[in-house]
Amino acid sequence: MRKALMLLLAICLWSTGASAQVRVTKGMTDASLLDVSGFKASGTGELFRQTLEANLVRSGWFQIITAGRAEFTVVGTAEDSGGNLSVRCEAYNVITRERHFGKSYRSPSADARQMAHRVADEIIKALTGREGISSTKIVMVGNRSGKKELYICDADGQNLRQLTRDNSLSMSPKWSPDARQIVYTSFLSFFPDVYLITLASGERRRIANYPGLNSSAAIAPNGRELALTLSKEGSPGIYIKDLRSGRLTRLTTSRRAAEASPSWAPDGQRLVFVSDVAGSPQLYLINRQGGDPRRITSSGAENVDPDWGSNGFIAYATRVGRQYHVCVLNPETLAFRQISSGSGDFEDPSWAPDGRHIVCTHTVNRRSRLFILDTMSDLRVSLLPDSEAGDWFSPAWSPK
Amino acid sequence: MNNRWLLLVALVLACAFCSTGCKRRQGGLRPGEFGVDPVTGMAGGGDMYAAGWQSDRPENMTFLPDVRFENVLFEYDSTQVASSERAKIEAVADYIRSNQRVGVVVEGHCDERGSREYNMALGERRALAVRAYLIGLGIDGAVIQTKSYGKENPIAFGSDESAWLLNRRAEFVFYNY
Repeated sequence: MRKALMLLLAICLWSTGASAQVRVTKGMTDASLLDVSGFKASGTGELFRQTLEANLVRSGWFQIITAGRAEFTVVGTAEDSGGNLSVRCEAYNVITRERHFGKSYRSPSADARQMAHRVADEIIKALTGREGISSTKIVMVGNRSGKKELYICDADGQNLRQLTRDNSLSMSPKWSPDARQIVYTSFLSFFPDVYLITLASGERRRIANYPGLNSSAAIAPNGRELALTLSKEGSPGIYIKDLRSGRLTRLTTSRRAAEASPSWAPDGQRLVFVSDVAGSPQLYLINRQGGDPRRITSSGAENVDPDWGSNGFIAYATRVGRQYHVCVLNPETLAFRQISSGSGDFEDPSWAPDGRHIVCTHTVNRRSRLFILDTMSDLRVSLLPDSEAGDWFSPAWSPK
Repeated sequence: MNNRWLLLVALVLACAFCSTGCKRRQGGLRPGEFGVDPVTGMAGGGDMYAAGWQSDRPENMTFLPDVRFENVLFEYDSTQVASSERAKIEAVADYIRSNQRVGVVVEGHCDERGSREYNMALGERRALAVRAYLIGLGIDGAVIQTKSYGKENPIAFGSDESAWLLNRRAEFVFYNY
């Protein structure tokens, strides 16, 4: 019954597309009770087990219980032998006794965490029909070295590593649609320029260094174009650069505004961006071919940092009074909902590819940390362990 | 081509404004008056300051760290050069005029409030407003670069108006080319 309901929910969510997310009611998205006490581990298998459990919890679909009757159970073993990890894993519906999932894996013990990410997403898919985000990554800016550099971690906040060592100022990282490249702004060559890093090779290429400002770059869903802010013709506006031919097109034409933060619609046909043409920074939509921008925010003193998610919704930060909060907006109906709550400033949101979670900054007393918000519940978790020193800014969730 | 037209229009407007609206100084039209918005009477921020670069960035820049001039300060969310700040820019123009092969990088900065990316654009508008004022004073736009730091480089720490005021600024960095 539960599974049928979940499947029905999944189908409903899928078939109604963009409008589904906001309409989802609390009861339908309550986490399923999951019993993992039957999963036994030894050696590095314990790292696998812990990672698997944490990933299942962070997915938002499950609540781990140690007593009482669960709806689902995960059983199996993770054993370390001679530098290899052998995993056997099964998932059952406790009520119907139906076996939804059963697989065996073997890989070098050093890959225990990656393996756990993969198994977690397979279990999530089998039990909920949804794509998991356990294997995705988050790129961010950190200042622990004394300079702002790019860092990457896994979606569960582990495996944090430094990506740039520019010893300069790095800003605004964004992923390519294939998650193989990262575009960002760096003052490496004195001026703010846009660079592209290929993760596998580590190669870095400067792709925009026009006179004046080169910033807030975002690669189009087709992977071939770049939207960015340039000021080479004066007032900073939004441009589109063809990455192969280098051809540049000016998208916005206002000469009296500061414009920034273009973010592409999932189909690549429109963009949302920030402009202060009406006095305060607000969100506007514009067609990929140009034309007149349409203002889509009217509430809040400022509306900034838009991120158009794969689910069709735009996450952004709104200023109410002196405080910033993360909101989600339906660009068709312009209905919006505040996602964050509590004290401090919540800013710079980025959607996870599951269309459910959002990573954002949370600043209290000038200390900036990253939080993951769940748009279907009030759950909020710190991305990085508290032991990680430094402030963290401008997170971007990988699209896969 | 487009830019030249805009510049021409701006010049004509500025001339028209100055011939009717402001005092003529000795020697006729003062170049600085080109930097005054004919609509608002304020310096900086209008269309005429949107003059883009006709040139690439300079290839070789030797910085002159010992040459220092006062920072130009801005109101909250504003890119207008206040009349109280104009003398600071005029001093910079005098320095460039009286030295050979000297250029200036105008750095635009913002206070700590708000979006990092938007503040990069806002800081650039501030730098561009100062650049336009310098161009109005007769300095060749090819030797005036802009560089926005957004809110990334505050000089005053603290979350109050006294710190914010000092951080909303344009700084000057000089170079030889």
